Amino acid sequence: MKKILLVCNAGMSTSILVQKMKKVAEQKSIEVTIEAMPSTDLSQFWQSSDVILIGPQIGFMKDSIKETVENKIPVEVINMVDYGRMNADKVLALAIDLIK
Amino acid sequence: MDGMELIAFNIISNVGTAKSMGIQALIKGREGKEKEKEAEKLLEDAASFLKEGHKSHAQLIQEEAKGNKQEISLILMHAEDQLMASEIILSLAKEMLYMQKEINDLKNK
Repeated sequence: MKKILLVCNAGMSTSILVQKMKKVAEQKSIEVTIEAMPSTDLSQFWQSSDVILIGPQIGFMKDSIKETVENKIPVEVINMVDYGRMNADKVLALAIDLIK
Repeated sequence: MDGMELIAFNIISNVGTAKSMGIQALIKGREGKEKEKEAEKLLEDAASFLKEGHKSHAQLIQEEAKGNKQEISLILMHAEDQLMASEIILSLAKEMLYMQKEINDLKNK
């Protein structure tokens, strides 16, 4: 099963978004695991995931996160508007698009 | 989704984007004199995102001042935390960009 990782400062706002994404995935019967994580834990746990989405508040860390994951999996910043409206549909679609 | 959560997320995504741009401005500034304009533009845009976040927050405070008690949640506190952090980072980033510009000038002498 594919794993999507959402990363932000404390893993707080992303965990709310993750809950909503899980619901959307369930409704659409898409089989994925989705997890939220603070950026500080990333270096230990990224190996098991297939894509990393980062909150707009740490958008400046995109390059350093890419380095952390040795460019092995896609890393993308979540669109600010989608994040602000917690548009779980769109964020999930972005993640699935990146995995392909 | 309930209203307060949405407001909190609106604040987080606006001020968070602002903070991120502030840091990017400093990184650009370090890249040298020819990137200074870009850095300044980033700070300008960051300021307008910060303002947006502030607006949402101010509305909440005004509502409460009117006597409509607002529900306090952890996510709202988190949004306020992000708001404060962004405000500090952006004011400092502005000053630091001035400093960086002087450094760039000195390097080019």
